[in-house]
Amino acid sequence: MIILKNIEKYYANKGVKSYILRHVSTEIKQGEFVSIMGPSGAGKSTLLNILGMLEEPTYGEYEFMGEDVLSLNERKRIELYRNHIGFVFQAYHLIDEMTVAENIEAPLLYKKVSGAERKSRVADVLDRFNMVAKKDLFPNQLSGGQQQLVGIARALVAQPSIILADEPTGNLQSAQALQIMDLFKKLNEEEGITIIQVTHSEVNAAYGSRILHLLDGVIKEDIAVEQSV
Amino acid sequence: MFKLNLKIALRNLWKYKGYTAINVIGLAIGLASCLLIFLFLRFQTSFDTSYEKQDRIYRVVSSWTYPDGDFFSNGVPVPLAPALRNDFSQLEQVAAVRSTRGIVLTKGTYPIASSASSGQGEKNRQETNGGQGNTDVKRKEQLFYVEPQFFDIFNITWLSGKPAQALTAPGMMVMSEKTAVKYFGSWQNAIGKSITFDQNTDFKITGVYKDFPQNSNFPFELVASYASFPGKDSKAWGSVTNRSECYALLKPGVTVTDLDQPLKQFIKKYYVDNGPGKENHIFQPMSEVHHDGRFNNFKFTTISYKELAGLAVIGVFLLITACINFINLATAQAISRSKEVGVRKVMGSRRSQLVWQFLSETTLITIIALLLACVITELAIPGMEHLMNDKAAFRLFSEPAVFVFMLLLVVFVSFMAGFYPALVISGFSPALAIKNKISAASAGGLGLRKTLVVVQFTITGILIITTLVVVKQMTFIREKSLGFDHTSVAVVDIPSDSLNLTKLNGFRERIMQLPGIKESSYFIAAPMSNGNSETNMSYDHRGKDEDFQLNIKMADEHYLKTFNLRLLAGRGLSKSDTVKEYVVNEKLLKMLGVLQPEDVIGKTMKVNGREAPIVGVIKDFNNNSLKEAISPLAIFSNHKNYSAMGLKINPKELNKTMSQVEQLWSETFPNHVYEQEFLDHTIENFYRTEQVMGVLFKVFAGVIIFISFIGLFGLVSFIATQRTREIAIRKVLGASTIELVKMLNRSFLYMVLIANVVAWPLAYIITSKWLNGFEYRTNLSIWPFLLAMVLSVLITLITVSLRSLKAAKTNPIDALKYE
Repeated sequence: MIILKNIEKYYANKGVKSYILRHVSTEIKQGEFVSIMGPSGAGKSTLLNILGMLEEPTYGEYEFMGEDVLSLNERKRIELYRNHIGFVFQAYHLIDEMTVAENIEAPLLYKKVSGAERKSRVADVLDRFNMVAKKDLFPNQLSGGQQQLVGIARALVAQPSIILADEPTGNLQSAQALQIMDLFKKLNEEEGITIIQVTHSEVNAAYGSRILHLLDGVIKEDIAVEQSV
Repeated sequence: MFKLNLKIALRNLWKYKGYTAINVIGLAIGLASCLLIFLFLRFQTSFDTSYEKQDRIYRVVSSWTYPDGDFFSNGVPVPLAPALRNDFSQLEQVAAVRSTRGIVLTKGTYPIASSASSGQGEKNRQETNGGQGNTDVKRKEQLFYVEPQFFDIFNITWLSGKPAQALTAPGMMVMSEKTAVKYFGSWQNAIGKSITFDQNTDFKITGVYKDFPQNSNFPFELVASYASFPGKDSKAWGSVTNRSECYALLKPGVTVTDLDQPLKQFIKKYYVDNGPGKENHIFQPMSEVHHDGRFNNFKFTTISYKELAGLAVIGVFLLITACINFINLATAQAISRSKEVGVRKVMGSRRSQLVWQFLSETTLITIIALLLACVITELAIPGMEHLMNDKAAFRLFSEPAVFVFMLLLVVFVSFMAGFYPALVISGFSPALAIKNKISAASAGGLGLRKTLVVVQFTITGILIITTLVVVKQMTFIREKSLGFDHTSVAVVDIPSDSLNLTKLNGFRERIMQLPGIKESSYFIAAPMSNGNSETNMSYDHRGKDEDFQLNIKMADEHYLKTFNLRLLAGRGLSKSDTVKEYVVNEKLLKMLGVLQPEDVIGKTMKVNGREAPIVGVIKDFNNNSLKEAISPLAIFSNHKNYSAMGLKINPKELNKTMSQVEQLWSETFPNHVYEQEFLDHTIENFYRTEQVMGVLFKVFAGVIIFISFIGLFGLVSFIATQRTREIAIRKVLGASTIELVKMLNRSFLYMVLIANVVAWPLAYIITSKWLNGFEYRTNLSIWPFLLAMVLSVLITLITVSLRSLKAAKTNPIDALKYE
C-alpha cells in the first residue's frame, strides 16, 4: 500500500544541513497496524506528515496505492488524500466554533458527499461511538477522551483506508488511552483499516502489529509484535 | 508609570508594524481630509463676520412676486438709499454702493515696478513712453461708487485719509493698499495723485485703506465717492440692477422684525406704478450674504449652507470610517495583548488603569497620524486652492481655531476609536489570559466588528453611488445639446459709448475679412449668459401686460447665423439699428397659448413701450444654466445696447485668428482694453460649484474607498491569522486552497451585500434630491447602484482573496505543530 524509498528530509541553514530523516525505506501493507516509536526529535512526526502528504521529503520516492505521490499535482494529491487518509492529532484539533456533529460532518463537505448521505453517515458514526447525546455540544464541553473520540470519528467518517495518528493518547489519562487504543485495534482487525501511529508508549505500541524504531532520522529497528494481548 | 506605558506602547506599535501602518495611514488620510474640509468650511463661513457692528449690519435686497414664482436680486433701485435714510428712524446709517467697469488710466509718474502686472495677466498693458522709465498704466478695472457712510457701517483700517472726508465730494477716490502699490509703487506715493476713469473723469486719490481680506464679499480695490456717480439722483423706482446695492446699520436694540410694519408702508408709498410683479425688500443679515444663493454679491460667489453641510457630512463620514478601521483592528489585535493584560492584573493593576493605558496608546497613534495628516494637508492645500480658485485662502497654522480643531479631533478620535477596544481588552479574565485561553469570541464579539464593517461599506457605497451620479449628471450637462452652437465661439467686449458706435460697421467688415472668421455678430449677450434682462410685454393688442417676464436679447441680423439658431417659421431679423421687428422662441408661443409658429408671424408685440411685428420663430435654446428652465424670449436689434461681439471661428485657426482679432480691435478702439472669452468657458463657469462638488466627491470617495480597503485588509489578515488553526485543520481534512479562500470570502461578501442593501435607498434619496436642483437632469437609473455594488464586491474579493490565499497556502503542519 505504501512504499517509501530512500526518503530524506533536511533543512539547510547557512549551508549546514540538519537532517530530520535519512535513508528511510520501508513498505507498509494494507491492514497493518504500525507504531512509529523513538525519542523526541527522532523524526517520527515528520515521517507521519510525509506519509500523510502534509510535508514533502527533500529526496526519495513515495508510492501510495500504486501512485507516485511526489509527482502528483496538488489537485490529484488532495483527491487521493480526501479519499484515503484520516488524521488523528494529539491535541484533537477540533474546530471550536462547531458542534460535535458539525465537526464530524466537515470532511464529508470537502468530499462533496450529498446532504442526505452526510446525515446518515454522521448519525452512523455518532451511534457507533455512543455520542448521539453529545452531538450538539461544543468541543470545550467535552472531556479530553471524548474530544479525541470525536477526532477519531471525524477521521473515520470519510471512510479512509488508512488512519494516521500522531500521539493520539498523548493528552489523555490512561483509562481513556486504553479505550482509544482498543478502538484502533478493533478498527484495524474488523474493518481492515491500516493504522499508523506515532507513540511514546510501549503499551500503545503493543496494540499494533509492527513497530518502527526511529533514531536520529534513521530506522533502527523494524520488528513485528507478538500478539500477546 | 506613564513613561513605562509609553515605552510599551511604542514597542507594541513597532512589533505589529503592519497593523500600525494600516492604522496610522488610514487615520492620517481621514484626518487630513477632515482638516481640509474644516479649513474650507471655516473660510467659507468667515465671510464678513467680524466687523465691530456685525450684528446690526444688514443688506437691503429686492424680491418680486410673479404669478409663476418669486424673483430675487441683490440690486436695489437707486433712489432706495436716500428714501430709507429719510423714512426709517430705526436705521442708524444707510449706504449705497454702485459698481461699474471702465478703463483706468494713470499718467506715468513713477518708476515702473516689476511686480506691477502680477495677477491681472494678459488683460492689462503697460506702455513705456520715451524710455524715461515712466509708465502710463491702462487697465480695465471695476470701480465702486460708495457713500462715506459705508465706512461707518463697516470698520476697516485706513492707512491714510479719513472716510468722513475722503469721499465727500465728486472726483474723490480711495484705494486699497494692493492697488495703490500696483499703480504707484507704494501707497505713500498714491496720496494726492490722480487717475482718469473712462477717459472723461478725473479722480484724486484722497485715501488708502488696508486690503479687504480674502474672506470678504467686497472686491473693493478702487472706491470713488458716490457723489461722482452720474446716476445718483435717479428717481427710477422701477429700474433695478445688481450693480446697485444698499447696506443699512440698525440702531442698537432694533431687531429686524421691528422693521416689518414700516417696510410695508414704505413699499406702498414708493412703488406706485403697478408692474406685473409685486415688489418687496428684505433686510438680509450680513452673515447671509455669502450663503444665500437667491441673491448674488459683488464677488459672484455664494455657497449655500446646504453645500457646506454636505461637505461636513462627508468629513464626518471620513472620520467614522477611519475610526471603524481603528476599532476593528484594535479589538482584533486585542488577543495578542491578552497575556500582558493577565500578567498586569495579577500584578495588581486595576481595570481603569488598563483602560487608561490602552487609551493613551490610541492617543499616541492618533497624534502620529495627525502629524502625518498635517503633512498631507499642506501638500493638498495648493490643489484645494486651485480647485476653489481662491489664492492664499487656506493656511494650516494661521489661527488658533485650527489648533483647537486638531485638539478636538485627537480627543474625539482617541476616545471614539480607543474606548471600546480598551474596555474589551481590560476586561479579560486574568486566569484565562495567562493561560492564553482568550479566543476571538471573548475579544469583543465578532458581531460588532461585522456591524462596523457593514457601516463602513454602507458609507463607501453611498459615496460611490453619489459620485457616479454626480459624474453622470456633469457629463449629461456637458453633452446635452443646448440648442445653439457654442464651440469655437469667442465673445469679445466692445465699447458701447456713442463715440465708438460709428466704428462698429467698419470693424465688423474688417473682422469678416480675416480668413479664420466664419461669422460674427454684435449683441448684448450670448444665447446662454449671466446677463439676462427681463421685462414685461403685451401681445397682439390683448390690452394688458402678460403675467410673465420676457427675456430680451438685443442683437443684430447675424445673431441667428453666428450661433446657428434654427428658425421654425418666418425669417430672421433684417438689418436695423433700432427696434423694428421681433424674433421670438417657442416657449413664448407656449406661454401665449399660440399653437402654430406660423400663427404669430405678423402679429405685433409691445416690449419696453415699442410696438413691432413678430417676423420669426426660433427653436428653443437654453438661455439659462441647465438648473433652470428656458425662458420666453425675444430677439431684436438696438445697436446702442450692443456690448459684445460673437465670433464663430474656424477651430483650426483659432489661435492665429484670435491674435489677429485682438490686433484689429486695439487699432480700432485704442483707448480701451481688449477682453475676450470663449463661450464654452463661460458656459462651464455656470457649473463651477457642481464641478467643484464633483471633484470633491471623486477625491473623497477615493479616500473612503482606500480607507475601507486597508481596513478590510487589516481585518482579513487578522481573521486569517486567527483562523490559522482552523484553516490548517480544514486543510488536513481535505479542503483545497480554493475552497478555503471561498470560505473566508463568503462572510465578507454577505457583509458587503447587506451594506449595499442599506446604502441603496439612502443614496437614492440623496442623489434624487441633488438632481432635483437641475431643471434638466439625467435619469436616475439602476446602473450607478449596480456599479457601486460590483465595485465594492470586487474590492472585497480582491482584498480578502489576496490575504486569504496566503493563509490557505501555508503548510498546515506549521500551524498545528506547536499546539
